[in-house]
Amino acid sequence: MKKITPLLFLSITLPVYLLLNAQSPSPEQTWKLDQSTLTYHMSHPMHEVDGTSRAALGKGVCHAGQCDFLVAVPVKSFDSGDSNRDLHMIQTTRGAQFPIVSVRFRLAQAGLNAPTLDCDLEVQFAGNTAHYSHVVFQQTISGAAHRITGVVPATLSDFKIDPPSFLTIPIKNAIPVRVDMVWHAI
Amino acid sequence: MEISGSVNMGWARVLIGGMCLGVLCSVSGRLAAQTGGQQGSEVAAKADTLPLPDAPLPAASTQQGGGPLSASSSLQASALNQPPSTGPSLGDLGLTPADTEGSAARQALMDRRTHMLKIHQRLGLITVIPVAAACISSVGAPPEKGNYSDTTSRDIHIALGATAVAMYAATASYAIRAPRVSHEPARGGVKWHKYLIYIHAPGMVLTPVLGAMAYNQIASGQKVHGIASAHSGVAVATAASYGAAIIAVSWPIHLKF
Repeated sequence: MKKITPLLFLSITLPVYLLLNAQSPSPEQTWKLDQSTLTYHMSHPMHEVDGTSRAALGKGVCHAGQCDFLVAVPVKSFDSGDSNRDLHMIQTTRGAQFPIVSVRFRLAQAGLNAPTLDCDLEVQFAGNTAHYSHVVFQQTISGAAHRITGVVPATLSDFKIDPPSFLTIPIKNAIPVRVDMVWHAI
Repeated sequence: MEISGSVNMGWARVLIGGMCLGVLCSVSGRLAAQTGGQQGSEVAAKADTLPLPDAPLPAASTQQGGGPLSASSSLQASALNQPPSTGPSLGDLGLTPADTEGSAARQALMDRRTHMLKIHQRLGLITVIPVAAACISSVGAPPEKGNYSDTTSRDIHIALGATAVAMYAATASYAIRAPRVSHEPARGGVKWHKYLIYIHAPGMVLTPVLGAMAYNQIASGQKVHGIASAHSGVAVATAASYGAAIIAVSWPIHLKF
């Protein structure tokens, strides 16, 4: 009887305990975007223009060892220093119909503290979705702040945007977006 | 002692057996979670209640040389609000449907505005030609050495000036009739473009009026006098401010071919 009692106890409780633990191997974690500067660069034979937004919102959720991130920024929040150009940019990128640019990416939770982050980005912009694989971002960690910098190699044709022209000369297809973000785990 | 020794041995066996059972069950639980198979129905049922990660979406269609890739697809506006099964949604960021839903009507309004301003830009650039021609032809407009009868040069100047004013009016009409989509104050070059209207718009009205007065004075054998003598000065100021308005919306210019 003395042998049977602990055997019964363990054979019931231990597997249940292990099973429950097996479902959540990594702790849940949430990340929040604190500060951001996103800058697109537009190039024309007569003009070089940078448009900056500091209005991006972002969140990351980790579970089961994977972290899903979402960054969203209103198209109208980009400021190039010229209100007429900004309005024209919103029109050209169909920003009134699709007012949000969103970027999704997934990272392994174990690699979140690495000095470089290799991301596969899914970008929704101007009513279209484009994927950018192996976009490398640099990371510097200072206390709880994770600063991420890098460039998203976006182009107009990725989003089926007709390049606007000035004096009949269209702007260049490449519109790289410089990223500078600070994230915090909460 | 024998009894306690056998009890200890029993506990050891129980521990080893329990651990093996637990490991086996947890492995089957993981397999059930990954495959959604039928084995371990209790474990699979538990797994179904937890959000499992999807296959990595971005990597699925981006393996072409590892560089930036444009795998574009049409997207409905409402799709922006439908996040994948895992990961945060736009709503989680604090964005309301009013923030994320677009307006086709507003987009159409912006398209119309851009279309009209493009015509405004094109006509404005073309108008430079008659404005410049009127300025150049003004050299021959005054009567030479009291010869008031030869009006050819003056007539050419009048025709070019009238063309410039008519084209200026057409150019301005497209900017005036373009729908307003923002009530924020203008920033950048377009601000100076608008300020300069206060010089060249009155100038475009005054210049032909003063020119007509000067023409009548010459036609009646008089020297140009009074306010009509300001015709050339007003015309030069008007043409200069018109040119400055064009440069204002083109500035800064960085030639890079």
